[in-house]
Amino acid sequence: MTIKLERLDDYRWLVPKQGLMRVPGMVFSSLNLIGLLRDDQSITQVANVATLPGIVGHSLAMPDIHWGYGFPIGGVAAFDLDEGIISPGGVGYDINCGCRLMTTRLLADEIRPIMRNLVTALFKAIPCGVGSTGQIHLSRSEQAKVAVQGAAWAVKNGFGDAEDLVRTEDHGTMEGADPSAVSDRAIKRGEDQLGTLGSGNHFLEIQVVDKIYDPEKARAFDLREGQVTVFIHTGSRGYGYQICDDYLKEISRAISSGKQPFDLPDRQLACAGLKSDLGCRYIAAMACAANYAWANRQILMHWAEETMLETLSISPNDLGMKLLYDVCHNIAKKEPHIVEGKELMLCVHRKGATRSLPPGHILLPEIYRAVGQPVLIPGDMGTYSYVLAGAQGAMTQSFGSSCHGAGRVLSRTQATKRAKDRSIARELEDKGIFVQARGKRTLKEEMSEAYKDVSQVVEAVHGSGLAIKVARLRPMGVIKG
Amino acid sequence: MDYDKTDFMLLDHTADLGIMVRGSDIKDLFEKAGLALIQIMINPGPDRANKSIQLSLEGNDPAELMVNWLGEILYLFDGEKEIVTGIIINSISPTYIDATLKTVSFDPEHHDIICEIKAVTYHQIEVAKKDDYWEARVIFDL
Repeated sequence: MTIKLERLDDYRWLVPKQGLMRVPGMVFSSLNLIGLLRDDQSITQVANVATLPGIVGHSLAMPDIHWGYGFPIGGVAAFDLDEGIISPGGVGYDINCGCRLMTTRLLADEIRPIMRNLVTALFKAIPCGVGSTGQIHLSRSEQAKVAVQGAAWAVKNGFGDAEDLVRTEDHGTMEGADPSAVSDRAIKRGEDQLGTLGSGNHFLEIQVVDKIYDPEKARAFDLREGQVTVFIHTGSRGYGYQICDDYLKEISRAISSGKQPFDLPDRQLACAGLKSDLGCRYIAAMACAANYAWANRQILMHWAEETMLETLSISPNDLGMKLLYDVCHNIAKKEPHIVEGKELMLCVHRKGATRSLPPGHILLPEIYRAVGQPVLIPGDMGTYSYVLAGAQGAMTQSFGSSCHGAGRVLSRTQATKRAKDRSIARELEDKGIFVQARGKRTLKEEMSEAYKDVSQVVEAVHGSGLAIKVARLRPMGVIKG
Repeated sequence: MDYDKTDFMLLDHTADLGIMVRGSDIKDLFEKAGLALIQIMINPGPDRANKSIQLSLEGNDPAELMVNWLGEILYLFDGEKEIVTGIIINSISPTYIDATLKTVSFDPEHHDIICEIKAVTYHQIEVAKKDDYWEARVIFDL
């Protein structure tokens, strides 16, 4: 089936209802970005998601949309709690993959001369790479506490302080987590991966605030030009991957045997009724992984702070590291939304999409109530990341969602081929960015050309009113798996 | 069984990675797919297998069987830290496989990891008998 795409205005593209689609699709993108989707199947994936039972409004895609498996990456879909479904593939394998941004009192000029040492020290202190294991080995009972308490477990165990929880989406704890819904295999994979960064596009960066777009919101976020920030991107590691895998299998089996009566255009869209026992068990297990991921980022933040204090030989007060915010971008959540004038509880799937709550929203912490939720958008290691603020346009158009990054444009194989014998580390160093990576091919796979221009993605988000640009961050030092 | 006999094609997928594998029969296909997965993830070096693991799996159809099969090999590495270096398929049907896996224990100081695979997906999965051979397309989540 050829999927049609109708341009509505500069930033909105309609996928009209056709075939088995229950609702239309809507892609937020610009003329430049939409052209990049020609060769992949992400728009078909938007249409496929629109066929799922109980979907409400539109099947949505954010400006960083790219070809995923089942759902597109950058996909958002909301489902009615009575008629709708929950889809592990609509959350992704890396449950609660997300970002956290910390501000400091340091200025970029103060640390530039020792960036190489600082990156080396962070690379030693932060376990990263494929299958990396950490300094924390969890007993079964302790892992169950992590699964229920999330970031609060980390704080109770000396990683950071309670103020950090206020500055974390959902206070770093997703309710409804039930460790008995988690398989032995997931427990095994999770027992030594807490406090690890992982590989691929996950990273820890030292950055400088390079440009301020909205001085008032930047003040509220404590961001100013020249200031050093620290950005972490990681998730729930093997624990989350296994939970997704386990439930995809179980749900697929239920569909094959007719226990879940769905006719799906792609097996990866396997889903269960939100009210079914299987659906409820997945949600309880997903919450465990979400909590594991929040604890993970909380621990990594603490180690980054310790390493910076030691390497720079300064006091905690001089470093002044403070969590700005932590957001997840692979998740499904039950949230209230207004649909055709009525308030409804919906299950919103965000697969590679960030929540974007506007000023005044009841779920925002007091400190950000007046300005909106910080929306953290990582770019690639050679260009920029962005801080945006949640906007009302997200509530009216995208179930309170925004993009989650630049989005890949080259596959890893294409990127490696294109990089040939180039030394990406040297090229970055010439731009003043020191980088260390564990994997041999990581830097080539993750080079700037492999991603869309994050600035164009952010422009499309800002232009379509999903979030408001606040500040641009430029990398100075990067560690990757 | 050695790696020279493994033949597969890498499929480009924007965010992830896939393989297309051909086998003379279903047994050959599953052997080759299992070894292809290992070859993408890790270089086990010249180590000789020091462990044997028995495995019996079911699937509703060949596609589900393939996802389960590759998922087991992936879990052995990520969960049990065992690298599969050899596969002996004892019996196989489109919905059942019984195999003996030869493995070496993963040593991060010694083994060269190439790529992290998070999971074997059902996305666009195809496992089917063609005219005189079997073919599988599988996408991995990276």
